[in-house]
Amino acid sequence: MTVLREKAKLMNSDDLNRVIKRIAHEMVEQNKGTENMILVGIHRRGVYLARRLQKIIEEVEGTKVPCGELDITLYRDDLTMLFEQPMVHSTRMPQDISGKNIFLVDDVLYTGRTVRAALEALVDLGRPSSVKLAVIIDRGHRELPIHADMCGKNVPTSKNEVIEVKVTELDGKDEVVICERDAQ
Amino acid sequence: MGKILFKDFKIFNGTEFIDAHELLVDGERISAVGSGLDGTDAEVIEGYGKILSPGFVDLHAHFRDPGGEWNEDIASGAKAGAAGGFTTLVAMPNTKPAISEPSLVEYVLSHGKAAGASRILPSGCVSKNREGKEMAELLKMADAGAVFFTDDGAPIATSSLFRLALMYTGKDQPRIMEHPEEISLFKGGQVHEGRVSALSGLKGIPAASEEIDVARGIALARETGGRVHFTHLSSAGAVGLIRQAKKEGLDITCDTTFHHLTLNENAVINSGYNSRYKVNPPLRSKEDQAALWEGLLDDTIDAIVTDHAPWHMDEKDEPFQEAPFGIASLECAAAVLIDFKNKNYPDVPIGLILKKMTSSPASLLPEKWHSLGRIEEGAFADLTVIDMERTRIVDCNEWYSKARCCPWEGIALSGWPVMTFAEGRKIWQDNEEL
Amino acid sequence: MNATPSEIGQIVWRHRNVIDVDCFTREELYFLLDQARHMENVMDRPIKKVPVLRGKMAVNLFFENSTRTRVSFELAEKMLSADVVNWSVSGSSHAKGETMRDTAWTLEAMGADIVVMRHGAVGAAQYLASKLKRAIVLNAGDGTHAHPTQALLDLYTAWKHLGSLEGKKIALVGDVLHSRVARSDVIAFKTIGCDVVLSGPPTMMPREIASLGCRYEKDPRKAVQDADMVYLLRIQKERQQDGLFPSVDEYHRWWGADGELMKYARPGALAMHPGPINRGVEIASEVADGHQSVILEQVRSGVAIRMALLYLCGGGAR
Repeated sequence: MTVLREKAKLMNSDDLNRVIKRIAHEMVEQNKGTENMILVGIHRRGVYLARRLQKIIEEVEGTKVPCGELDITLYRDDLTMLFEQPMVHSTRMPQDISGKNIFLVDDVLYTGRTVRAALEALVDLGRPSSVKLAVIIDRGHRELPIHADMCGKNVPTSKNEVIEVKVTELDGKDEVVICERDAQ
Repeated sequence: MGKILFKDFKIFNGTEFIDAHELLVDGERISAVGSGLDGTDAEVIEGYGKILSPGFVDLHAHFRDPGGEWNEDIASGAKAGAAGGFTTLVAMPNTKPAISEPSLVEYVLSHGKAAGASRILPSGCVSKNREGKEMAELLKMADAGAVFFTDDGAPIATSSLFRLALMYTGKDQPRIMEHPEEISLFKGGQVHEGRVSALSGLKGIPAASEEIDVARGIALARETGGRVHFTHLSSAGAVGLIRQAKKEGLDITCDTTFHHLTLNENAVINSGYNSRYKVNPPLRSKEDQAALWEGLLDDTIDAIVTDHAPWHMDEKDEPFQEAPFGIASLECAAAVLIDFKNKNYPDVPIGLILKKMTSSPASLLPEKWHSLGRIEEGAFADLTVIDMERTRIVDCNEWYSKARCCPWEGIALSGWPVMTFAEGRKIWQDNEEL
Repeated sequence: MNATPSEIGQIVWRHRNVIDVDCFTREELYFLLDQARHMENVMDRPIKKVPVLRGKMAVNLFFENSTRTRVSFELAEKMLSADVVNWSVSGSSHAKGETMRDTAWTLEAMGADIVVMRHGAVGAAQYLASKLKRAIVLNAGDGTHAHPTQALLDLYTAWKHLGSLEGKKIALVGDVLHSRVARSDVIAFKTIGCDVVLSGPPTMMPREIASLGCRYEKDPRKAVQDADMVYLLRIQKERQQDGLFPSVDEYHRWWGADGELMKYARPGALAMHPGPINRGVEIASEVADGHQSVILEQVRSGVAIRMALLYLCGGGAR
């Protein structure tokens, strides 16, 4: 059994919220406004992050950008290798995504496979005009040609480490920590 | 075949355990029972306190010979019986063709002798070709050696035929063995009408089916003065009726099976409806099973039989609803019962069980066979050694029987026959024992 | 939903074969209903496909005719991107000469990953599952014993309308004795916490109803009294030939569900039926087509539930 041992705190609550604010501004800048913009959070933490971004954009621009949630479980490329099939969460789009600029939101970008699955899921839902990716942490070790358009922080990591982005809505506090796997 | 001296055994004589610890066999017969016997020129077999019992007598076993030899033939059946401690087996006549004429009775006798293992006694059908229409040549068959008349596999088709057969056989011919069932209640049935049928959706066979036919037989026996033996009882109701009839003084006898005493409908449910548990009559409720033990203990039930019903794996390995009825058990039946009794009825003396497997069933055969199932001077040296400490796992792949499956496959049991002698000749021995 | 989100969040799905509903706990049932909801969303999309079972072979092995159930499974399998083979066997395996054992081994040799089987013999699905080494078995009905996916889709339909099913009452009316749907529904609804009552002619009830864990009311009005769900079971006309009830008309007058009978149920009670319906026998048109009827929705629920089951049991490594 492996146990995660917390090694260091990368961001505290203030750091995380500043990063989210910056990303929100970058999104509006890259989109040249809020027209045709849809935020899509990837389950699970991406969903909470996307809602926070939506709130900030509303405060700044005065518009409530539509926000959806995407579960990529059914599109994972590793399902056939798992013994127990993982639980499926909901996928809800506020409107038809065809012709829109999608801003995918996730907590950590690692191998890129989650984002690949998200792209496949989006394509089955409609034909967006463009898809951009925003993440809090990019920890490297990409296995596919995927990049983040907006990134909170680049953190080089080893494969033995895990980065956890904790949000109040789910974990009771806002922070980003890096952990090490200890085999027991 | 010469002399054998059995030394240091607990000897059961068919009715009770006796003081003697030694037994001398000379040729085919027992020449002496006692202590300090003269063992000159005799092969000595040391018992170390094991039980020496008369060889078991099974009144009801099916060999599919003639007509279904791939499932079992008389030779494999006789060897299977020997390996189970049985020295006498009564072969049921529902073969193809059915045993309903003297030439086929002789066929069974001669094939049995040729097998050189357990003694095979034939039975004959009540009706010609087992069709249930006309009475078969009962006197000729008895003369040729038949020891029971039965249309087993089915009840006697009509009450008028049953009555005629009872009148014809009277009290001096082999008994009529009735398979108690009411055809319209049985039709299409698969399991006991009770918990198992409610849960599984399989069609149930109500216990009333057995009771109705037992009541019929009792009424006819009362009216004609004839003798009826009911076989493979499965229900509390039937035991009750026979208890009453015996109190009344009627010559009604009955048996139940090793599997009905040791299994009930819960075994069917817990196995996931495995066809190994599919049998006619079906395994009934816990209450029915308890009533059978009560009947055994108060002598309402006279004998315990195997109703050995062998099927080749190809036939039996099917979903429950599609498999044929029948449990094959000759080679493990005794151990199954001994093990069950020790675990569930520890206060019941082993002698009571053994009596119902030896002298009590033998007393239901025609008079010339009444000395079977007994240990006494002059009787046939039909002997079974039982080791109550022996533990063995039931492995159907080692069986002499061609049927390679049973409900107890893979189960460890304690209390096994380990040596069998018929007419003074050793016909089987447990090789691992030594 | 009455199992808390964290309860069902803890569920690790380990079931492979689905022979009957009695293998599921209450939490697992709620988990299944939750997952079925997400699958139903897939059915609403323009692209009704997800790649979950891509590369897997599903064989629909039907020894009994049933277009509806087979099509429902087929749609579910195709929406999950499985390769589908339909194998209809007419007559029993005995008539054909091939034993089920041999059929099972043929299927594995063919590379089947999932076998959906409907057979006329009780115990057939269990038997097949015991013979297969790799492929999993989903029971689409084995004789009069079980029909687990029907019970699950019934639960799902009821849950979508009524929310938590704890303490709700369901009355099943009809031929319980010969109904695999009834047997599985009784288990499923009891497990999830419902009060279950049976009604119908006494000749069509098992003698030992107590073993099923529910009570029997001969008078359907008493059974339906305050019920939240009234479930009508199909009456097969052959049963009348078997003498179990004297005439269709007498059955309908006493146990058929019409507007009058439904008045005894709670207002807003659901009228349910496994289909296909016999109008004028177990159910009157006014009920079948009325506002309380969820019969057509049951059909849709069937695809969603089967998708959820196929994903959870049939996907993944072996």
